[in-house]
Amino acid sequence: MSRILCIDDELAILRLLDVVLKHDGHEAVAVTTGRAAMDAVAKGGIDAVLLDLGLPDRDGLELISAIRGVSQAPIIVVSARGDVTEKVAALDLGAADFVTKPFDGDELRARLRAALRRGTAATAGAELCYGPIRMLLDRHEAEVAGRSVSLTPKEYSVLQVLVEAGGRVLTHAALLERVWGKAHRSDVEYLRVAVRALRLKIEADPSQPALIRNEPGIGYRLA
Amino acid sequence: MQRSATSYVFALAGVAVVAWLSSLALPLLGLASSALLFLLPVLYAAARGGIGPGLFAALAAATAYNFFLLPPRYTFRIHGLENLVSVFVLVAVAVVTSRLATRLMIREAEALERARLSDEAAELSAILAGHPAQTACAKGIDWIATRYGDLRLLAEAAMPTGDAAFSSLDLAAAAWALHNGDMTGHGTEVMPAADWTFFPLAPKNRKDGHVAALARPNGGRRRDAAELGHLSQLCFLLGQCRDREALEAERRERERLEEADHLRRTFLASLAHDFRTPLTVITGRLALLAEGNPDAQDALAAAKRLDRMMTDLVGAARIEAGSLAPAMENLDLIDVVAEAVGGLTVPQGLFVQRSVPANLPFVTGDPVLLHHIMTNLIDNAMRHAATTVTLDARQEGEKAVFRVSDDGPGVPEAERNRIFERFVRLEGSDRTSGSGLGLAIVKGFADAMGMTVSVDAAPSGGTRFTLAMPIAIEGCA
Repeated sequence: MSRILCIDDELAILRLLDVVLKHDGHEAVAVTTGRAAMDAVAKGGIDAVLLDLGLPDRDGLELISAIRGVSQAPIIVVSARGDVTEKVAALDLGAADFVTKPFDGDELRARLRAALRRGTAATAGAELCYGPIRMLLDRHEAEVAGRSVSLTPKEYSVLQVLVEAGGRVLTHAALLERVWGKAHRSDVEYLRVAVRALRLKIEADPSQPALIRNEPGIGYRLA
Repeated sequence: MQRSATSYVFALAGVAVVAWLSSLALPLLGLASSALLFLLPVLYAAARGGIGPGLFAALAAATAYNFFLLPPRYTFRIHGLENLVSVFVLVAVAVVTSRLATRLMIREAEALERARLSDEAAELSAILAGHPAQTACAKGIDWIATRYGDLRLLAEAAMPTGDAAFSSLDLAAAAWALHNGDMTGHGTEVMPAADWTFFPLAPKNRKDGHVAALARPNGGRRRDAAELGHLSQLCFLLGQCRDREALEAERRERERLEEADHLRRTFLASLAHDFRTPLTVITGRLALLAEGNPDAQDALAAAKRLDRMMTDLVGAARIEAGSLAPAMENLDLIDVVAEAVGGLTVPQGLFVQRSVPANLPFVTGDPVLLHHIMTNLIDNAMRHAATTVTLDARQEGEKAVFRVSDDGPGVPEAERNRIFERFVRLEGSDRTSGSGLGLAIVKGFADAMGMTVSVDAAPSGGTRFTLAMPIAIEGCA
């Protein structure tokens, strides 16, 4: 059970979040303003944050930085706007993930689970696991559903970064920087080529990917 | 006239003074030195008054020298070669000095005139720059008119054909100036009989669409080439002012449009936000109720459709506003199709058949717009299909082609052209409850990304949409 700080100026949304979170046994701490949110974060004991970017008293993106400054709790942005650049900005500022209103309760819970797993990633020694994927880091080997797959160093790195994120979305820029370096932050086609090659090796049906999911205009995540 | 008369008087007075002084001092100076003194009034008169007063002073000096100094004194008799030489020297000094002085005076006058003209140009520039662009040009025209006579700006689009002030010759000269960029009319070589002179507002290689007309001066005076050249420069300044005015008008218009666009975007964003918040509560609550409750499931599906309609409305408004700015990147159609299908609820009993080869080249498109297009096309097919929706992607030449087919009732051939128009719903299709915007958005977004979309009959008898996308130049990992 975790304490989740829910920040939204709509009481009906806060009540809905309360029900959705209780479903997984979490406790919702509801606040309606940025100021109250900072107070709650300062008090401590918050395991994750659900943040609506459209707050009346404070810019949502700025609030992400402010919370990041005092707490390590993962922040999931709940955005009503379809604006991709805003989501990417939120992720770049340190948000762990996002959901778009109207959100699906199951999806929100899945994102929250992934976010809470952060830092406690399923690592056992030099082994990294997510779903059917198992990576043996010291031997540079990977298995999918028990079947060994042979990956190039870049494919291996991409998969490792995705597995480490544990289902959280990673922006194109973040993935590119981790695997290819800072100079290649905007070379999205590198990533597309590597992901396609990776899918050919790890997906049961590469034309209907079930493991590596794309977020249009934002990045990739593991399903 | 006044000045030359004064010069003669001064010349005479100078000679008189020298004659008087030298006749007094003759015993002291001697004849040769006294003769030299007579050069002074000659030099002075020639330098001051030019050739006329100079020669006059020379003759007067020679006469006075002969009369007062040369023996026998106080007679006009000339003795010998010596006296003739002194007369010749005085005349030669007068001629040479006066010519030099005249040349200098002409140069000085030219320099003064140039300075005056450039002062005028500077003054006009200051007037044009010192006023807001809308009024500066009118101020400049007034300023020129007060100095040079009636000046008007004629537009090519509105020539003053009914104005009695302009004869047909004037209008012909104006048209010549407009089309050829030459100065025409009075004082020029082109139609000099005209009553106006016409000045282009821009150099010859840059047509302006306007020409300045300056009335012939009163009293039969003819403007000379220098004056016309100067006026032509002043008119170029007017032209530059008009260019500035046009640029400023363009900037104001652009700012106005940007502001309107910003307002529209803000409005749409807040509209979408305001709609989605209650919609989140509705779908969230219905989702909690939906398990095992078909009524709540129906309501949930309807609420989700409402959300897509909202997205369509915002998209349609963006197309309408012309504010689509696609951010093109290389996209894998596998991703695009998977996300579009994943975001839709496949109705019960419907089968979605997908064929997207894993070796298809990447396409170039805006990920968000293309996602919206795919969602709309697949959603549309799902709403019309009887049992199966077929998605098929392949490479055809330079394009990647994506086809969405359904086995529904199909679109009659006559209706196919209308299907991409807004709010078009075909007869008998009400049950499908679309927004009437979905396909218009597909067309609008596709156009914005350089893609084409078309519709024909599917082999199964239903409808088939074909989206052709440019293939990306592949990078390497």
